[in-house]
Amino acid sequence: MIIEKFFNKWIMFFLLLIPTCGVIFDEPYFITLATKVVILGIAGVGLNLALGYCGLISLGHAAFFGIGGYITGILSFHALNDEVLFSWPLVVSGSSEMLIIWPIAILVSAFFSFIIGLLSLRTSGVYFIMITLAFAQMLYFFSISWPNYGGEDGLSIYMRNSFPMLNTMDPLTFYIISLFWFLFSIFISLKLINSPFGMSFQAIKQNEERVKSVGIETFKVKLLVFVISGTITGLAGSLYTDLNRFVSPTVLDWQTSGEIMVFVILGGMARLYGPLVGAAFFIALEQTLGSYTENWQFWLGLILILVILYARSGILGLFDKKLKHEK
Amino acid sequence: MKNKILNIKNLSKSFGAFKVTDEIAIDLNFDEIHALIGPNGAGKSTLIKQIVGSVKHDIGSIVLDQEDITDLNDVERAKIGISRTFQVSSIIPKFSSLDNIILSLLDKSKETFQLFKSIRENKELNSKAKNILREIELLDKKDIAASELSHGDRRKLEVGLALAMDPKVFLFDEPMAGLDESGTKMMINLFKKIKSNSPILLIEHDMDAVFALADRVSVINYGKIVATGTVDQIRSNDLVRDVYLGYEI
Repeated sequence: MIIEKFFNKWIMFFLLLIPTCGVIFDEPYFITLATKVVILGIAGVGLNLALGYCGLISLGHAAFFGIGGYITGILSFHALNDEVLFSWPLVVSGSSEMLIIWPIAILVSAFFSFIIGLLSLRTSGVYFIMITLAFAQMLYFFSISWPNYGGEDGLSIYMRNSFPMLNTMDPLTFYIISLFWFLFSIFISLKLINSPFGMSFQAIKQNEERVKSVGIETFKVKLLVFVISGTITGLAGSLYTDLNRFVSPTVLDWQTSGEIMVFVILGGMARLYGPLVGAAFFIALEQTLGSYTENWQFWLGLILILVILYARSGILGLFDKKLKHEK
Repeated sequence: MKNKILNIKNLSKSFGAFKVTDEIAIDLNFDEIHALIGPNGAGKSTLIKQIVGSVKHDIGSIVLDQEDITDLNDVERAKIGISRTFQVSSIIPKFSSLDNIILSLLDKSKETFQLFKSIRENKELNSKAKNILREIELLDKKDIAASELSHGDRRKLEVGLALAMDPKVFLFDEPMAGLDESGTKMMINLFKKIKSNSPILLIEHDMDAVFALADRVSVINYGKIVATGTVDQIRSNDLVRDVYLGYEI
């Protein structure tokens, strides 16, 4: 744990160093890449709570990522076009204010996480994986068949949503906003895993029957973890739409769920910064190998196989072991 | 009826054509240790599972402290006061001994859904857990992961988990299996001490321990209770000697 804390400090250092280098060398692309890593890291931090700490293998987190993304896109689209969102029972218009969009994205993601969790958590194992996947795929096909918001082509929002007194179009400013949310999601995760509630869901991962036998309502615990997890992932989806100024059904696709899971597994399950490291590794591979071949995922697959076979604690776990031996 | 904390009537369970428990009637008085003995496969552990609610019975009724709990699920039964140990040690392997006990204290202290309060800063929970570890002689191993404990220590820890719940009844499934002599002695003394607060239904193969502890003994064979009585009555029961104890006792 002490070694992991040491690594976490280095990770924080890099989170500040990379955008600084981007500014110094006038390479805004690096800042945008770092922002993407941080946002995908948030999605991973969300999934890590359910998967890494509670053992809930969800293949449906793209649903929450996409819901957050589409809420942002739709609200922004209506604001930019000056159209009302709906006019009954109340007249509600869109918004391009992040301070309005974020709470709505969070609430709607939480609501869908609750509904999906309520139904999915009645199952376990492979059935749970399949049912979460099925929910996400339903939303994916729904988004494709929704022509009002671009259908298969997606929805462009042209202007990034605004934040009082900040220029969100400036890459560094948006990076700082995303970094704030990343650190907030880490803070929430840290608080949770050290709480009695966190103790309960970490115990469920190891021995649910025993947890039930001491009178803990494991269904309620898992449902709450799933809702918090989905909500954090939904927030990441909201930021992702603002980063790209575009949202499409791809964010709801099962491949997105798989990628978020890859971030968690690559970086290290049940490690606070694991998903960020996993996302950074993923993006680095995409950028380097992707410039040589469009089938770069072949190498990702190979690395994933090696990680699962020889480094189940992920990249952070590898360094952790190495340092422990050196000590 | 008034002096019975647990009253089980007509409890039956079949897996296909095989009757695992057959019209079991057994009760537990206040201040009592009631031992349940019988050969392997007789249905003892399945009976425990039916009482705690992890295996659904076909027919029968279970009353705990005047309350019919027959239709409650396993978590609800644990909440209202049934605490158990498992035949094969069931602990949270990556948690320390201390954290295993704290986990067991959470529901009773209504802390399970405390989302942002640090468990380390909860002095009351930590102190209660340490007291229980002291009682089961594991305080010096409080920081050791449960998976690293010896088999005997895991059995003690399981009893500690049950104690932490401060239940109405204990259901102990072979708690002394794998314990050395001093461990068994500690457990016997502990059980004698706690039975006045929470009576014990005890499944145990260590007959010395059973005879040292039990106020009453029931013998189960092929899913049926074949005899119930005091230790002396059971010892001298020919049928019991035939099905379980053997003539050398």
